[in-house]
Amino acid sequence: MKKIKYKTSLNICLLSTIVLTLFAFQQKQKITVYLIGDSTMADKEVIAYPETGWGMPFHYFFDSTVTVDNRAKNGRSTRTFIEEGRWQPVVNNLHEGDYVLIQFGHNDEVPTKRSYTKPVDFTANLEKFVTESRSKNAIPVLITPVARRKFDSTGKIEETHAEYTQLVKDVAKKLNVPLIDLDMESQELVQQFGPDDSKYLYNYLNPGENPHYPGGHADDTHFSELGARKMAEIVLNDIEKLNLGLASHIRVVHQKEKK
Amino acid sequence: MTKIKLKYGLFVGLLALLSFTLPVKKQVTIWMIGDSTMCQYDSSRFPLTGWGMPFSEYFDSSVAIKNEARGGRSTRTFISENRWQPIVDNLKEGDYVFIQFGHNDEAKSYPDRYTTPEDYKKNLIRFITESKDKNAIPVLITPVSRRKFDAAGNAVETHEVYSKIVRDVAGEYKVSLIDLDQMSIQLLQKFGEKNSALLFMQLEPGENPDYPLGINDNTHFDTYGARHIAELVLQGIKKNSLELQDRIIENKKKN
Repeated sequence: MKKIKYKTSLNICLLSTIVLTLFAFQQKQKITVYLIGDSTMADKEVIAYPETGWGMPFHYFFDSTVTVDNRAKNGRSTRTFIEEGRWQPVVNNLHEGDYVLIQFGHNDEVPTKRSYTKPVDFTANLEKFVTESRSKNAIPVLITPVARRKFDSTGKIEETHAEYTQLVKDVAKKLNVPLIDLDMESQELVQQFGPDDSKYLYNYLNPGENPHYPGGHADDTHFSELGARKMAEIVLNDIEKLNLGLASHIRVVHQKEKK
Repeated sequence: MTKIKLKYGLFVGLLALLSFTLPVKKQVTIWMIGDSTMCQYDSSRFPLTGWGMPFSEYFDSSVAIKNEARGGRSTRTFISENRWQPIVDNLKEGDYVFIQFGHNDEAKSYPDRYTTPEDYKKNLIRFITESKDKNAIPVLITPVSRRKFDAAGNAVETHEVYSKIVRDVAGEYKVSLIDLDQMSIQLLQKFGEKNSALLFMQLEPGENPDYPLGINDNTHFDTYGARHIAELVLQGIKKNSLELQDRIIENKKKN
């Protein structure tokens, strides 16, 4: 009886050691989060500051096991991103457990732009990103294009990506890909700020205010530091809501209670 | 006579040519001394941002920025912790010293940092004279405003006594003054009581992973606020016509 008890406790000891070791290993796996997308996500050159892509603040919120590699580039559509050879190097570098966050649409959907991508091609390109990520055992996440600042005469925000946002959702559903509906959620945020105050979220500058934009600036697509951070917060919150493994790599901060 | 003239003319001509070909701008360093509203922060505290951080992004390559500001420091503790002397030792002719203290000097309830008005004045004078001794250029900056509005919605002065001392010293010692306190009060007024919160560390619980409990801080800036304050200081450089203004990068394309 005693012997058995001893054996059992030994076994439990052994088992828990194994579990703990596995746990520790799992915790320590280093991963890379690739961001592919357009100017609303991209890192900016200093001369363009304070214009800020949401991928910039997104860097800051993970523990040391995560490298955020922001490959998003101004002006790119799914088609030009691939044609310029920006996607293949990502595929080549992908490791098991890496993430690929995909946000395109702004430059795909405009027929007058050189970067225009027909709906059918947009879908095919998104599917390519998803399947090629999965072939390397990486985890793709689809993100609908973040909202532009556009209000109707009654002060209600207007959808500016209707068709292409739906295409992203369709691909997510068809291929069972985690989806972050940033278009809808950012519209809610911009609506909450309202027609006037939402300018704070975007790169609005008065003449003479900022040396990088001496004549001032009014941009309803690209973000200020504030807007970029708010968009990054939406994406982070959704990563948690979706229960992605990546959520466990978000830095845990034990904040002191302030009086 | 003609020979001399010719020689002289050649010499002047050569000088004129040289002034075009040689690099016109001598390397200078801006030494920033001050408190938590100015200092550098680790990204682990993002979006907490001192205005010295975005400030450093607006100069050409002839300028180096040394942001030596530290959270919680008054003029007195900055000196007593031996943070000032090493800067004096490294000052070169043409360097700038940007001086912004007050938040901690004026905090009577924190005896570890509190500095009496008399000592505050003495310390500012010390920063100035020791900078000038090394042919560096001191720039006095009044303490950036806290976010405080009266019942009528007017942004109110939060550094009355200590900002006045900075202005007095600047006048007495003929030092360039950037009245950041006044400028930032106007900025807060422009944003208004509600929207000025966007400039500060104000986060809802659950909004930001770095501040899970949220935060409600009317002194320290987020990235957005820090940049707006940096813009005011850059404007202050121009108002004072400091030589430094020629080293600010203007993006002509974006005119």
